[in-house]
Amino acid sequence: MARLLVQLKLRLLTNALRASRGAKISFIASTFFAVLVAIGTFVVLAALRGQSAAVDQTAAVFTVFAFGWLIAPLLSFGLDGTLDPATLALYPLRTRPLAVGLLAASATGAWPLANVIGLLGVTIGLAHGFLGELVAVLAVLLQVLFCIALARFVTTGMAGLLRSRRGKDLAAFLVIPIFALYEAFSQVVPRMAAEGKITAETFAGIDRWLRWLPPGLAAHAIQDASAGHAGAALLRLALLAAVIAVLGGLWIRALGHALVRVDTSTQSSAVRGGLLPFARSGIRGTVAGRYLIYQRREPGSIVRWCIIAVVMAAASVSTIRTPTYHVALILSAVLGGGMLGAFNANSIGLTGAAFGLEASALTGPRSLRAYFAGRNLALAVIAVPLLAVVSAGLAAFAGHPADWFWVVAIDLAGIGAALALSSVFTVAVAYPAEKRVGSPTPRSADGYGGQALVSGLGSVFGVVIVTAPVIVAVVLTHSAPAAVRIPVLVVGAAGYGLALAWAGARIAARAAERRLPELYQFAARSKL
Amino acid sequence: MAEQAIAVRGLRKSFGAKEAVAGINLEIAAGSLAGLVGPNGAGKTTSLSMMTGLLRPDSGQVLVQGLDVWADPPAAKAVIGVVPAEARLFERLSGQELLEYAGRLRGMPASEARSRSAQLLDVLDLTADAKRLVADYSTGMRKKAALGCALIHNPPVLFLDEPLEGVDPVSGDVIRRLLTRFVGSGSTVLFSSHVMELVEQVCDHVSIIDKGQIVATGTIDEVRGGKTLQQAFIDLVGSRASEGEGLTWLGSSSS
Repeated sequence: MARLLVQLKLRLLTNALRASRGAKISFIASTFFAVLVAIGTFVVLAALRGQSAAVDQTAAVFTVFAFGWLIAPLLSFGLDGTLDPATLALYPLRTRPLAVGLLAASATGAWPLANVIGLLGVTIGLAHGFLGELVAVLAVLLQVLFCIALARFVTTGMAGLLRSRRGKDLAAFLVIPIFALYEAFSQVVPRMAAEGKITAETFAGIDRWLRWLPPGLAAHAIQDASAGHAGAALLRLALLAAVIAVLGGLWIRALGHALVRVDTSTQSSAVRGGLLPFARSGIRGTVAGRYLIYQRREPGSIVRWCIIAVVMAAASVSTIRTPTYHVALILSAVLGGGMLGAFNANSIGLTGAAFGLEASALTGPRSLRAYFAGRNLALAVIAVPLLAVVSAGLAAFAGHPADWFWVVAIDLAGIGAALALSSVFTVAVAYPAEKRVGSPTPRSADGYGGQALVSGLGSVFGVVIVTAPVIVAVVLTHSAPAAVRIPVLVVGAAGYGLALAWAGARIAARAAERRLPELYQFAARSKL
Repeated sequence: MAEQAIAVRGLRKSFGAKEAVAGINLEIAAGSLAGLVGPNGAGKTTSLSMMTGLLRPDSGQVLVQGLDVWADPPAAKAVIGVVPAEARLFERLSGQELLEYAGRLRGMPASEARSRSAQLLDVLDLTADAKRLVADYSTGMRKKAALGCALIHNPPVLFLDEPLEGVDPVSGDVIRRLLTRFVGSGSTVLFSSHVMELVEQVCDHVSIIDKGQIVATGTIDEVRGGKTLQQAFIDLVGSRASEGEGLTWLGSSSS
């Protein structure tokens, strides 16, 4: 059974590679990263040799790896057909051999191997003597086994949930904290480290509780063995093995349940209200109502709005508390607009086959103009308060809350530019979108990466260029009295943004009228 | 009934080297319930997409109620209702919101769209689920919701692509009765299917399409010529299955 499932996994992998170039590229990229992680981890762990806090830091690295294994299946569920027990439910398989087979299949691949190789860095960094080296190898193998068992347990326990629509919706929101954490690590941590606010001492004490977690047990077993305490080392390893055994037992039980039970935790419920908002205000209001409902009910939309806010905050973080905070405020306002444009530059492709309903009802230039105006209205209803609030927060954080007024002018111009450009790109560079299972944000279908790049980058840079006159006006008038300057800037920028959005909708409508059937064909090929 | 509700002339479409529709001609009288049957991949969906203005043909003409679908799309779209094959709808709207949206997009006043969608949901047996998201609907419910969207503006001509594919008998019966009632009032229906019994039961006109060409068209009696429609279809299109001589082990008597 184990051999068969390993073969099945390898066959699925090679078939996927043969089927599309995108899969080939992502496989090569993933393998490349796995090699990098293996080498990087090995070097980092090996470099701990002779350091006083070596065991603390090894325990931290082991824990980070376990955490990675814990969340990875939540994000990539469905990429590996061998991992979903439901696909095997029809075959006459006993749970135990199935469990061993699934475990073997999960251990097959570049990432588990990269984990083993990378973590073996402890043989240089932490282990001393024959006993130490022996325990180190055992501890690394047990640690990787623990990670795999943990990931399997979580996946199987959540398999029913992740197959249901609501479960996938919930999983989509995990992206927000992960993205925010990533931004924090890549922007905030290096800065704080450079300022001396984060040092090696910050981690002191963390080991007091990490040592009792399974990854900590593995790290400390190596330390004990190297110090000659063979009994303590073996005791720790035995404890770790017991944890793995308990986890495995729980997993086998969950597997038995998952094969025969339907998930009932996500049964659908009715929506409130049930009437279309703004339906009384013509096609524009109707379309705006539909777009607004989608911004609220589709997790992907909420994720994108949150990402806009996170990017705005992250872009300004390095200079917001310095005398050049203006640059941070301008940058975050323009980037907010740019992201808004990029996320909505393929509205029709992202609507999917349902666009057929709209395409067969929209007749003539007037209704198409109303369609794009409605779309812009719905996006503006969310974008204006969101960008204004984030800018207000940043201005306050910078210690110059009064500067918020001129930032709002840039926000408004940026939003207008984003709506205009994304309307035009939606029609001019439409492409089918595809949602991979487990990923909340759709990407371009195979072969349309170029279009996605053009409309995405085009929106970001386009917003920068089109917003430039307002930025120049803000900079040139900085010495003018605020009572005159602010009202003129805000009203002028709002008018400029409105005019841009209006023109964008008109241009898009005119182009869409000529190629409505082609736009529908792109939308119909989307897999959402 | 001499007036033609649908007239198709020399309709052609190729995808690369493959000719999906190879110049079809078709005339459907007003008030008719017509079936377009053919094996998988025969060109049914491609033909219907071109007739409804959703796929640009390489050449040919489509007239619906005398209006040229490709010369004057706005005018033609106003008299057409469409139910696409995989009723892919706005998943995040409730059934009620979806029907109302379809009506409002057609320029209907809000109150009218609301009252019509409530009546359609009632006839389609969807009232109890009107406030649930379409994403949580079953296949039958989705087909019924799509039919409601196509009917809300009361089009004189309705196109349906595989309307009963994957639909349970109860929902199928609801759809069938609604279509018969719709045609009884003088409207026209053209639907594609590969379920011969269904076409034989409900249609008065049938066209058989194979490899992108119409190989037979006329009333049900004309096309089947004394046989069952199923037999006439297999005779025209040709049985493609081998007799399976290699499967000597198959079946409980051989073990």
